[in-house]
Amino acid sequence: MTRQLLWRLLTSIPVLLGVLLVGFLMLQVIPTDPATIIAGPSGTAAEIEDIRRQLGLDAPIMMQFWFYLLRVMQGDLGRSIINNAPVAGELMTALGPTIELMVASLIWAVPLGILLGTLAAMRRGQVFDRAVTALSVAGVSVPAFWVGLLLLQFAAFRWQLFPLQGRGGPLWTLSGLHHVALPALTLGLIFIGPVARMTRTAVVEVLGADFIRTARAKGASEFRVVTRHALRTALIPVVTLIGLQIGSLLGGAVIAETIFGWPGIGRLAVGSIVSSDFPMAQGCILVLACGFIVVNFVVDALYGLLDPRIRSKVR
Amino acid sequence: MSTDTTALQTANTAGASRPHLLRHLARDPLALIALIFLVLIVVAAILAPVLAPFDPYDTNLRMRLRPPGGDHLLGTDTQGRDLLTRLLYGARTTLALGFASIVVGSLIGTSIGLAAAFYRRLEGPLMRLVDILLSFPSILFGLALAAMLGVGMDSLVIALGLSAAPPIARVARATAASVMQAEYMDAGRVIGLSDSALIRRYLLRNCAAPIVVYCSLQFGETILLAAALGFLGLGLQPPTAELGSIAAEGRSFIFLAPHVSTAASLLIFMIVLSCNLLGDAFRDLTDPKLQR
Repeated sequence: MTRQLLWRLLTSIPVLLGVLLVGFLMLQVIPTDPATIIAGPSGTAAEIEDIRRQLGLDAPIMMQFWFYLLRVMQGDLGRSIINNAPVAGELMTALGPTIELMVASLIWAVPLGILLGTLAAMRRGQVFDRAVTALSVAGVSVPAFWVGLLLLQFAAFRWQLFPLQGRGGPLWTLSGLHHVALPALTLGLIFIGPVARMTRTAVVEVLGADFIRTARAKGASEFRVVTRHALRTALIPVVTLIGLQIGSLLGGAVIAETIFGWPGIGRLAVGSIVSSDFPMAQGCILVLACGFIVVNFVVDALYGLLDPRIRSKVR
Repeated sequence: MSTDTTALQTANTAGASRPHLLRHLARDPLALIALIFLVLIVVAAILAPVLAPFDPYDTNLRMRLRPPGGDHLLGTDTQGRDLLTRLLYGARTTLALGFASIVVGSLIGTSIGLAAAFYRRLEGPLMRLVDILLSFPSILFGLALAAMLGVGMDSLVIALGLSAAPPIARVARATAASVMQAEYMDAGRVIGLSDSALIRRYLLRNCAAPIVVYCSLQFGETILLAAALGFLGLGLQPPTAELGSIAAEGRSFIFLAPHVSTAASLLIFMIVLSCNLLGDAFRDLTDPKLQR
């Protein structure tokens, strides 16, 4: 188990390097020369040359990439072109709200999706099953921004139930919950479909297994058969698939943050790209990609923990 | 010539499911409706210059944000342009964008997949690369490429193609791996064909049918991603009509005139839904595990 995790950790290093290379290349396309900017309008050619040498800008490109890696490891991601604020600091303030939004969406969407999927699998071929299937097909086909816009238009504007924009404080405060509701609803609604669909498939498959027949033959109630025997096995692939879907959740978060003015990384990323703030964009992409790698790693670890069969096999 | 006949025969067996597919569609009314809708939309998009009642770039600020009805069947947008016209042209752009991206994605994906199946030594690293690409959020490709290459058509098509490529590569490798077992591959090698001739004449031709089918199933997802990037302002720049950016333009006036973004979003939804319904129907047909 530990060896497997270590191996996973090792194999994510090339991925991380690839991501960092993309971040580095993003900074290379900046049309202006940083040395010229630092020297100011009164800087002489010699001064500019001096600063270039100090910054390592005269080094070969591979060396520059190495310097870049060293700087990133020290937490120095450069400064924003727009407001000269350190990128790392801005990212730290934006990271919290994004995690908050994701947690607020997953916390209700995953259980509800699993519930819907399980009920659909138990009533296979009946009206409820068809409704859940239809709902999940619609869920994967609907543009995330439309869900957000509809909620904004009706729940926030017409019925005035929720605030239109922004974040109201930490999740445990009333105002915080009030503000997070609509973006979390948007993100959760597009996530329920895939979760329900995956759960349904997994439960249907497990319900056909021999040990389920054995459990029924022992006289276990249908409720017990489903919750104790079927779900425990079926949830393993579902957890993995949810982990894989975190990527699409991230995409949804970018859109939900943009629509509801949520001060997270997604909105920061889009804003910095649109305004050509390359250092900021580079930082956002790095954080989003690294966050994604970490989540995948955690899901893999969870996978081993959840399934005793895998644990014993590796040992 | 005789070697090509073998390839043709195999290709024919692969294509033999086609009449079967049509019969299946006739029994699945939802999939049939989806197919008809898609055909209609594609025809309407191609014929947009003929069908559109107005000019898509003809702004008229005195007529802006008119509700549906009257001269303008679906009303007007934020600049007073006819919304129906904008939607027709928008569907044209979005569908063309999706098509171009799928072509790029299938080129990348098929090359990787065939190379992995043909050169077994490359299989491990190539498929690992595919796994990594597959696991990455597609919206990140869009964001990163827009940041590197600037916002525009090029970075959009590359980003969409890159996110479509990994699953295509998997299908291509799986199909090619089974074709590699065929005797005519050995025969081709024995008569002294070069690697590139083997790949082009035998492998590619015999893999083409399933890969093309799979690529068409990817279309819905690509359209959805294209619309999302367009909505974020990372797609084509105004005044080009594109469904995602029409929805984004309408967003600023969502309280005054919701019809602009609603109409564009609804159209995207219906196109993607049709693609997915067709895809599901097809998957039910071809996946023996799902047949009851």
